[in-house]
Order: sequence, then C-alpha cells, then structure tokens
Amino acid sequence: MNWLSFIMAGIMVYVAVAVFLAGTTYKIYHWLRTPKSPVRLGMFPRPENSFGRGLKLVKDSIVFPQVLDNDRIMWFFVIMLHIVGLGTFIGHMRMLGEFAPLYNWLGADGMNTLSYIGGGSAGIILLVTVLYLLFRRFKAPYRDISVPEDYLLLMLILLIILLGDHLRFFAHFDVTDYQAYMKSLVTFSPAFPAAIAESGARWVLASHVFTASLLAIYFPFSKLVHFAGSFAGNLVRSD
Amino acid sequence: MAEKTQNRELANVINIRLNRQLLYYIDICTRCGLCKDACHQYVATGDVTYLPAYRAELIRRVYKKYFTRTGRFIPSLVEGREPDDRLLDELYRTTYACTGCRRCMYYCPFSIDTTWLLGVAKALLLAAGRGSPILTELAGAAVMKGENIDLFKDVILESLKDTEKEVQEITGDASAQIPVEKTGARTMYVALAGTHTILPVAVIFHHARLDWTLSLFEAANYGYFLGDNKLAKTIADRIVDEAKRLQVKQIILSECGHAYRVMKFLYEAWAGEKLPFEIKGIVEVMHELVESGKIRLKKGSVTEAVTYHDPCQVGRNAGFYEEPRDLVKTVCRDYREMTPNREKNWCCGGGGGVVAEPAMDEFRLKTGMKKVEQIRVTGARMVVSPCENCRLQLDGLNERYNMDIKITSLMDLVADNLETEK
Repeated sequence: MNWLSFIMAGIMVYVAVAVFLAGTTYKIYHWLRTPKSPVRLGMFPRPENSFGRGLKLVKDSIVFPQVLDNDRIMWFFVIMLHIVGLGTFIGHMRMLGEFAPLYNWLGADGMNTLSYIGGGSAGIILLVTVLYLLFRRFKAPYRDISVPEDYLLLMLILLIILLGDHLRFFAHFDVTDYQAYMKSLVTFSPAFPAAIAESGARWVLASHVFTASLLAIYFPFSKLVHFAGSFAGNLVRSD
Repeated sequence: MAEKTQNRELANVINIRLNRQLLYYIDICTRCGLCKDACHQYVATGDVTYLPAYRAELIRRVYKKYFTRTGRFIPSLVEGREPDDRLLDELYRTTYACTGCRRCMYYCPFSIDTTWLLGVAKALLLAAGRGSPILTELAGAAVMKGENIDLFKDVILESLKDTEKEVQEITGDASAQIPVEKTGARTMYVALAGTHTILPVAVIFHHARLDWTLSLFEAANYGYFLGDNKLAKTIADRIVDEAKRLQVKQIILSECGHAYRVMKFLYEAWAGEKLPFEIKGIVEVMHELVESGKIRLKKGSVTEAVTYHDPCQVGRNAGFYEEPRDLVKTVCRDYREMTPNREKNWCCGGGGGVVAEPAMDEFRLKTGMKKVEQIRVTGARMVVSPCENCRLQLDGLNERYNMDIKITSLMDLVADNLETEK
C-alpha cells in the first residue's frame, strides 16, 4: 500500500468508525439529556396499550404507511433506497467472513454468483433511486426547501455508489482479496493484497472506502440521524 | 454589534424552549417535502413559504446557526440564519397563518409536529416584540375580565335572563334555569361568547336533569393562539379557579376545539398540578347522555343530506371521531362522509386564531378551497361541525363560494332533535 492508499483506505477508516460511533453516541446522549416536553404531543387515533404503540411504531418506521398514502412513487423509491441500502450493507459483511450456512449450501461459486446478481442489482437500484432523489430536488417546491447539505449528502452517496458499481462490474477482484484487505483493517495493519495493489482499480477501491468514510464522519452531524430519530419521532406520534 | 448580541439573545429563546421532542424535530427533518400535500394553505396558494417543512426550517436555520457544530463551522451548509428583521417578518407571516391542524404531522414519515416548532417561533416573535397585535388585544381583554369579574357579573346575569326565558319556552317548563355560581354543582359548563353556545346546552342539560352551573367566563383562549403560554395559563386559570371555588366535579367545555386541548392536554403541564376535577368536551358528554338514555333523539328526523366536518382539535388532537358521527347518524337519515375524513381530514382553514384576524380574511377563504371541494362532492345540504372556529370559517366559505348550505353545531342538532314524548 502506498502512502496515499494508506491514508484513504487505512487511517481514514479508523477515523470514520471512531467519529461515527462517538458522534452517534453523543447525539443520542444529547437527545436523552434534554428534558421531555411535559405536554403529551401524540395525535389520535392512539393505540390503547404499549404493545399497540410498539406495533404502530414499527409499522410507521419501517413501512412508511403515511408516505404510501400520500405519494406512491416517492414511497417506492424511498422503500427501495432503505431496503436495498440495508441489504448492501449486509452484503458487505461477506468481506468479514462467509456466512457459514449459506456458504455450505451454495458453495464458493454459488456464493459468487449470488453476490454478483444480488450486489449487482443492488448497485443499479441504488444508483437509480439516488438519482431520482437528486433530480427530485431540482424541481419546485423541493428545490426551495433544500439546503446545500441535502445535495452534498446525495452527491456523496452517489459517488460512493458509482465507485462501488465500478468495483462490482469492472474491477474483478476476488472475494478473497477483499477479505484479505478487511482482515488487514481489523488487525490494525491496513494493506492491500497483491491482487489489489497491483491493479489500477486499487484507486477505485481506495476512493470508494474514502468517500464512504467521509459519509460516516458526517453522518452523526447531518439529517441522516433520522435513522435513529425517526423511531423516536414516531413514538411521540402515539404519546 | 448591538444587533448581533440582540440576535443571539433572540436565538437563545429557542434554546430555552427546547425539549427532547423539539430536538428530534430539528435534527431529523430530511426536507423530503412530503408535507406539501398535507397543508391546505400550501395546496391552495402554491406558495412555498407556507409549506410546513419550510416554515419549520426558518426556526431550524436559526437554531443550527447558533447551537450546532455544523451550523457554527459551516453555516452555509445548513443555510444557518440570524433572526434578523427579514427572517422575523417571514416568520410572523407564516407562523400566525398556521391553523395548528397538525395534518402535516400525520403525513410526516417521522411524525414531526410542525405546529409545535411554530410554538417556538411564536415565543421568538413575542421576545422580539412581534406578537400578533389582535391576538394580544383579545387575550388582554380576557385577562381583564378575569381580574374585574364583579364589574361584568351584572351584565352577564342580566343577559342570561332572556336566554333562560327561551329555555323555558323551548322546554315548556317554567322552572327551567340557567344556574350560575352554584356552589357544589356537579358540573360546570364553559360556553363561548354568545348565547348560541348556551341555549342548546341548557335545553339538553334540562332534559337530562343534570346538576350544573354556567361559568362566567368563555372557553376561548387567545393567549394560546398568541403563543404566550403564561398568558394562556392566566386565561385558563379564570375557569380553573371558578371551578375550584364552586367545588364542581367536572368541567364541560363547549364546542371549541382549542379550549378543550388547552384544558385537557396542556393546562396540567403548564401549571404542574393535577386538577381536582375531570375535563370533558360537550361532544363526548352528549354522546354519553344518549348512550345512557338520559336524553333521547328523534331518529332520522332530518331528511336532507348531511355531512360532518372533523375539527382538527376534536379529531386528530382529541380523538373524538365516532361519538359525533353516532349522534349525527342517529338524527340524520341521509348521512354522507367527506373524503378524506377522520385523521386525514382537511382543515377548514379557520383554526389557530386565523378567524380572529381581519387581515387574514382573504387568505383563509382562499385556503378553504379544499374544504369547499370536499363538501361539494358529498352533495350535502348541511354541514355539522362541533367547533366554533370551523363554523365561522365554514360560514365564510358558504357565503364566498355560494355553496347554499347550512352550517350547524352538534349541540344545536341534538337540542333541536330531542325526543320529548315519554
């Protein structure tokens, strides 16, 4: 690993993980430290008991029924973005180690095929949804309520997806190469294995990791904290 | 420099009022703009400054500029703003225009209560000496009446004599009364300005043989609309003190949406005390009286087509969806539902003190368009709604758009259709 890769795909990852964890913890601590409103802000109809409240919370936060009711196209893209985004995150876990039951069932080739089809379609779906959200903001009235943060986040995510898609479709690294890189990260001795280090696409990987790290660093200070806050907000709905 | 300090002090008002829920609302809005279809004012005007997320964003920008890292380091990223004249002007226009219907909260995927954020906006405006003059005046008059009730008492009692006669004529019972200042009565009824909110209830209560007394004060609370919680509490105190003095067991509030919300959901939090009596709205009381058989209704006696308008404060903010419908459907043969209804119902456009502001007349009649469309589709000749604000607005819409419909309160509908035969 040369020094630039070492910063972009090495040091940066540790900084990102540290800032993300500390920032998110602080954000949640800041919320919980602030006293609750003494007034019940919930609206009706209100679930009868805490079980109903929990069920409504899960439904509101995961299925977005109000969005479905209001704007079906937006609902489709938003659901896609979140589900596929989550799937992509889980898919990346393969670099930490194979999920044994699935690996035993499909074998190495089967896993690669699954990863190519699953990861590939996810990469395309994410690209389309983020482009949709970005272009949506160019249009009134969304343009008028948008602030630079909104565009910055979408462009950063778009960049991460483009670099990821490039790795998926054009770089042809083997999963074992990624696993070796991931292992080097986990053991605090970041290095690219030979197959990556000798390929020109190593810059794509370094940039992918770098931009993803930037996102993770900005995450707790941006509107993306809705990943946790939406649950809190939706709980207030039935307070 | 002085201006900078002043702006900072103003911004601090937000910080003082901040609680956990507000912090969520400030942090998590993604400006997805889905609230655009929820707000009748944005839908009717197409003016982005009325879009709920935009209104809330004004407060968010000030907060972020002063109290968040991102806003302090890179204010342009979140468009952080100082509470200068330009911002305050815009804030005044969009905040006092909000009817507080909370339809945007219903449609927000994160349940952001923009009305609550605008409550902070009102505190900011008040701190800058920019509260609504009309609402300030009305609230002041209410406080004045509370402090000098002895001066008003004779006039009130005098005017009630005529109403009492009417009750006697309607009920055919010369002993029918409108009791006032009756210590130890079980119930205190709080009406609104004008005998139209006393007469039907007096008739209903007479039939139900309720042990009641009429409050000397009116339920409306302009301090709440103004956004001055202290003032709003002082105004509500008049009623609470009277109820304590008369040792009643319950307060029943007239068909006034926000008055019920203030008493039922806000007062105890403001006062930090538990009230020694229960708070009820006349809608649920009438429903209970029918259910328990204390009053009976003439079934199907109204033949024309009737629809029901869910006032935001009675529906979304208090949860009475079926009770009023039960009553209307009992009396009316041809009941027609508006679409959407219940928690998704469109605001009539008259809430939040907007009807009290003559300068808002044009705006509120324009933004009532959605309601007009909704009513027209049903083909109903009569609209029942248990909220004075809604009725004033619906009357205005009726006239402006030549709808040729009748606007009725639920109390009147019930009082006019009581089964008096044994």
